[in-house]
Amino acid sequence: MEFAIISTLNGVTYGLLLFMVSAGLTLIFGMMGVLNFAHASFYMLGAYIAYAVSSVFGFWVGIAVAPVVVGLIGMAVERFLLPRVHAHGHAHELLLTFGLALIIEELIKLFFGDFPVNYQMPGGMRFSAFSIFGADYPFYRIFIGGMAVVMFTALWVLLTRTRTGIVVRAAERLPAMAEALGHNIPMVFMFVFGTGAALAGLAGAVAGAFYPTNPNMGIELGVIVFVVVVVGGLGSLKGSLVASLLIGLFSSFAVGLDWSLASLLGVIGLGDWARSFGGLMTLKLSSISATIPFALMLIVLLVRPAGLMGERN
Amino acid sequence: MAAIRNTLLLAALLVLLIAVPPFLGLGWQNALVNVLIASLFALAFNLLIGQAGLLSFGHAAYFGIGAFAALHLMIAIEDGFPFPTPLVPLAGAAAGLLIGLIAGYFATMRSGVYFALVTLAIAELFHSLAPRLEAVFGGESGISSMRMPWSDITFGSMLEVYYLTLAWVLICGLGLWAYTRTPFGRLTLALRDNEQRVRFLGYSTHSVKVIVFAVSAMLTGVAGSLQAISNETANYSLFASDVSAQVVLQTFVGGSTVFFGPVIGAAVFTLFSFLVSDLTRSWVLYQGLIFVLVMLYAPSGIGGVLQHHIRNRRQLDWRPLSGLYLLALAGGVLITAGTVFLTETVAVLFGEEYAVARRNAGGSLPAYELFGAHWDPTDIFTWLLPLVLLAGGGAITVSTRRHVTAFWNRGGGSRDTAARPVSLGGAA
Repeated sequence: MEFAIISTLNGVTYGLLLFMVSAGLTLIFGMMGVLNFAHASFYMLGAYIAYAVSSVFGFWVGIAVAPVVVGLIGMAVERFLLPRVHAHGHAHELLLTFGLALIIEELIKLFFGDFPVNYQMPGGMRFSAFSIFGADYPFYRIFIGGMAVVMFTALWVLLTRTRTGIVVRAAERLPAMAEALGHNIPMVFMFVFGTGAALAGLAGAVAGAFYPTNPNMGIELGVIVFVVVVVGGLGSLKGSLVASLLIGLFSSFAVGLDWSLASLLGVIGLGDWARSFGGLMTLKLSSISATIPFALMLIVLLVRPAGLMGERN
Repeated sequence: MAAIRNTLLLAALLVLLIAVPPFLGLGWQNALVNVLIASLFALAFNLLIGQAGLLSFGHAAYFGIGAFAALHLMIAIEDGFPFPTPLVPLAGAAAGLLIGLIAGYFATMRSGVYFALVTLAIAELFHSLAPRLEAVFGGESGISSMRMPWSDITFGSMLEVYYLTLAWVLICGLGLWAYTRTPFGRLTLALRDNEQRVRFLGYSTHSVKVIVFAVSAMLTGVAGSLQAISNETANYSLFASDVSAQVVLQTFVGGSTVFFGPVIGAAVFTLFSFLVSDLTRSWVLYQGLIFVLVMLYAPSGIGGVLQHHIRNRRQLDWRPLSGLYLLALAGGVLITAGTVFLTETVAVLFGEEYAVARRNAGGSLPAYELFGAHWDPTDIFTWLLPLVLLAGGGAITVSTRRHVTAFWNRGGGSRDTAARPVSLGGAA
């Protein structure tokens, strides 16, 4: 019971963090068809900018500045770099963002070194929200989750309840038509890209103070974020929320479970037969928890490429 | 005529590749082996993106598979299995073909971004599973073996490994080139250009794609097994995403639209990393910058730009053009110098050694050494120099570029926006 509750809490907060990053990625893909390989680098950039700024001006200034700067960088990428390769197709856009991801990571290493930096939450936030089964549950995890919920609500209201949201959704569905009606579609695209990047930057700024801030954080999260947006359905905000929670819960539960294919076959009395094979059969779930998301992504891509909630194939 | 000249060129290159290495040091021989392996890897990868139009982000999987298969065979040879060592790459080919058929069957059910994601997921699957599977991949430390002698060849020296690698890379590379000339090879191209039409002509596009994927994986497996023979060891890091990334970088910088373009990219990058990696820690950053510049300004890569010029060499008025190119080159050199200076300065100023020096100097900013000279970070000249270099280079490149574009548009050659030769110097 203790394991279940703690894992659920951790899983939900981690899932919400994943959602903060994947929301921007999925919005951008849905609108422009660009799979942005540099998106997780924006997350890392957010963490490092927040670290650099907060060491001088304090934690909250860092949190506020990071998404703005990252958002501006995102807008610049969309405005000045992507149009240059647009004529050569989506593959080139993808490759360009891939090169940018490489450059961002190396620049981070250049300025901050290869090792984790000491980016910490302020002492005032280092208290336990409540204690459960004798263990203190850190407030900051709740804070991360709360940020994501606020963000999701704000995005949702913006997209479904405001005029801006209508234009953005129109631009996503039929860009040419929306443009013919007099809306400045390139501007909309730029702002959506910037907002997506800013969200990733915000997530990095918030999460970097809790999880380690190092030059690998972009790549590590990046592949998981791809899994999330694929499983949720490329372009679907709701889908990526569900998939984020799913992956988050899964990865927090998997580390504590020692099920294996052999024990599964044991249910039907083939356990010893399977154990005699060794290898894949006896691998424990806890030791392959990093593998399952990719297997899930593969299955989704092959069986239902539109994902859980995507509409288009 | 053209065919004869190309054959002569190739023959001359071959003579160089055979005759020169014995006079080189061990380091260079090793670097050339790596160049050859990277070339084959990039050629095999480019069969998918350049010929069939399929962008794979997980070719490390087949490279790794080839390496492990070769090592298992080498271990068996060590234990007395009678198999000639020079044929060990066959194991990599077989394993690559098998895994490529299976992976390709599923991956080619999708196209575009989804195809890239499937290949990415497959490679990540191998990367995350390999350290857990002791028997096949030897856990986290991997497996290793020794090259066993065969008839009179001991395979003890790097030179012998080099010739073995050269032979395999030549056979596979020329085989691949011959493949593109067969009707099936032309079909692969048609697939890239108009898949629907190929289907209308009555071909099963899925099975064609599976075969192309499997051939690409097979040759990637050969490259992997050559690496295993050269290193005599392999571990799960061969499946890592940066192996997949390297081949993407090399292929596109070299030029994916030209058959031998990827070889240029592979050779340039591998040789540069051999020459430069001791001097700077920022080599990957430069690679990334080169890649992005090529993507932005010469999407058809070095090979594409070269081919474009060779094709138009008779119509071109070379006199004004070569002047412009020299100017662009000068601009590129200035920009490169400025960028390198800034990067290395940052690397020094934010490095750990400098932090220690600062502490010793009592918090002030001491002078640092770079390129054999002393620089004072508080001196404005230190910062003015790279800025002047960048601004000057930028001004030259931008204005030359305008002229070059105007030159090509005037009808100096056939118009080909994909290969417009602009500011390659900046990427040098």
